[in-house]
Amino acid sequence: MSAEVRAEDLLRRLAPQALGALARRYGHFDMCEDAVQEALLEASIQWARQGIPEHPQGWLITVASRRLTDQLRSEQARRRREDVIAALTPPEAFWSPAPGDDAPPDQDDTLTVLFLCCHPSLSPASQLALTLRAVGGLTTAEIARAFLVPEATMAQRISRSKARIKASGVPFSLPPEGERQERLRVVLHVLYLIFNEGYTATAGPALQRADLTGEAIRLARAVRQLLPDDGEVAGLLALMLLTDARRAARTSADGGLIPLAEQDRTQWNAAAIAEGVALISATLQRAPLGPYQVQAAIAAVHDEAVRAEETDWPQILALYQLLERLSPSPIVTLNHAVAVAMVRGPAAGLELLAALDAEGQLVGNHRLDAVRAHLLELAGDNAAARDSYRAAARRTTSLPEQRYLETRAARLVVGNE
Amino acid sequence: MKYMLMIYDNPGTREAFFGEEGKALMADMETLMRELTESGELIGGEALADPSNTKTVRVRDGAAVITDGPFAEAKEHLGGYLIVECERPERATEIAARWPNAKFCAMEVRPLMEQSGGDL
Repeated sequence: MSAEVRAEDLLRRLAPQALGALARRYGHFDMCEDAVQEALLEASIQWARQGIPEHPQGWLITVASRRLTDQLRSEQARRRREDVIAALTPPEAFWSPAPGDDAPPDQDDTLTVLFLCCHPSLSPASQLALTLRAVGGLTTAEIARAFLVPEATMAQRISRSKARIKASGVPFSLPPEGERQERLRVVLHVLYLIFNEGYTATAGPALQRADLTGEAIRLARAVRQLLPDDGEVAGLLALMLLTDARRAARTSADGGLIPLAEQDRTQWNAAAIAEGVALISATLQRAPLGPYQVQAAIAAVHDEAVRAEETDWPQILALYQLLERLSPSPIVTLNHAVAVAMVRGPAAGLELLAALDAEGQLVGNHRLDAVRAHLLELAGDNAAARDSYRAAARRTTSLPEQRYLETRAARLVVGNE
Repeated sequence: MKYMLMIYDNPGTREAFFGEEGKALMADMETLMRELTESGELIGGEALADPSNTKTVRVRDGAAVITDGPFAEAKEHLGGYLIVECERPERATEIAARWPNAKFCAMEVRPLMEQSGGDL
């Protein structure tokens, strides 16, 4: 690992800890967050020139405190100019670095920062953006590039999220014990959304430096270190590892999508699979069951098959039945239908789809048409399969999926043609 | 999801925005634009020049044929567009309903295609 990469990794890991230390001492989470961003920028320039300081965390906290002081001073001056009582008068100690700044804080505030960034009062888009900046240590420009929006738009989302957190008056502390499980679900969902943003990218800037899957895995590892006993945290990390292991094989050189059954499995990341399988196996034995664990177990069964034909579909079917009980949704039912088709034949799978049609929740969703097309093709009804592939292709808003679905439709041979 | 909000005009709509009576419409538009900017939903947008400024380009037998005027003659034409990113499709139609042209002509809301693709 080069010195530059090492400094970068260290900085990103220290970012939420420094932010926590500042917010705990001075309040003003929003301004602290800006101050830490400035300190990160300074660090990346100075450390590259002069090397990593002896106490990197103390260095960051000291520099960020100075930036915060500057900010508060100019804020105060502005208020004085406007003849408003300076409500932000900081404590005396504020004007110089507090004693003990060089020593690392005695607690890791990463989790508190993460809970705050994933506060339920924020929209999912805001939770994602703020988490990547305040916990991930990414710059606004990097986040904007990863989400394909202008930097000004992303800056607006971040400052609005911070303003909302400030207005809500939530203290800088972990959520109360009674709410913690529910709040942790939100945090894990945000990390999973970040992961999927990266994983589903097939081309373009999302694959560049701000590698979102890598970032999501890094954050999930950090949460697991802080909450080693939580089964769902481990389950999510395992799910990410087992899914990301297939990333290199899921697209062709020209950006086309390759379905699981046709992937070159020698391209799968064996180390990530081994880690994910070990993690989920150990977790299933000791923790209360949850949806991320079951999804990780399904991914593990897929990943363990050396050839697609060797996939243990009866086990996958059993796991989907479990998932439908734990966390029912039309999309889970759709995947369940595929597993049913693989075990009991396409007709049984199509029957389940008919039930989904009747429920109506997925009407107009291209995934329903795509799965139907796949099962019709398995059943040998090429004409109907082609119609369904085309219906799915019209409905999807994903270019690579559209290309895949059109290609499948085109290669089906229909009688009399 | 990102959406393009296509703003449709007919020959009379632009006039409605100018002059005394247009002030309220312009104010509505500015309020909405400010709201979309502050919420971080606005990705971009532009107004288009009058259709009489259009040139239509076709390549026939390898040569470009350029004619004055729009490709399709219609009573309504595209007057401009907004690109917004919304959490739900209902939000995109809600924004469209607040754009003044929805009152005189129409707005079209269409999702943008993405470069991402899920597992198959």
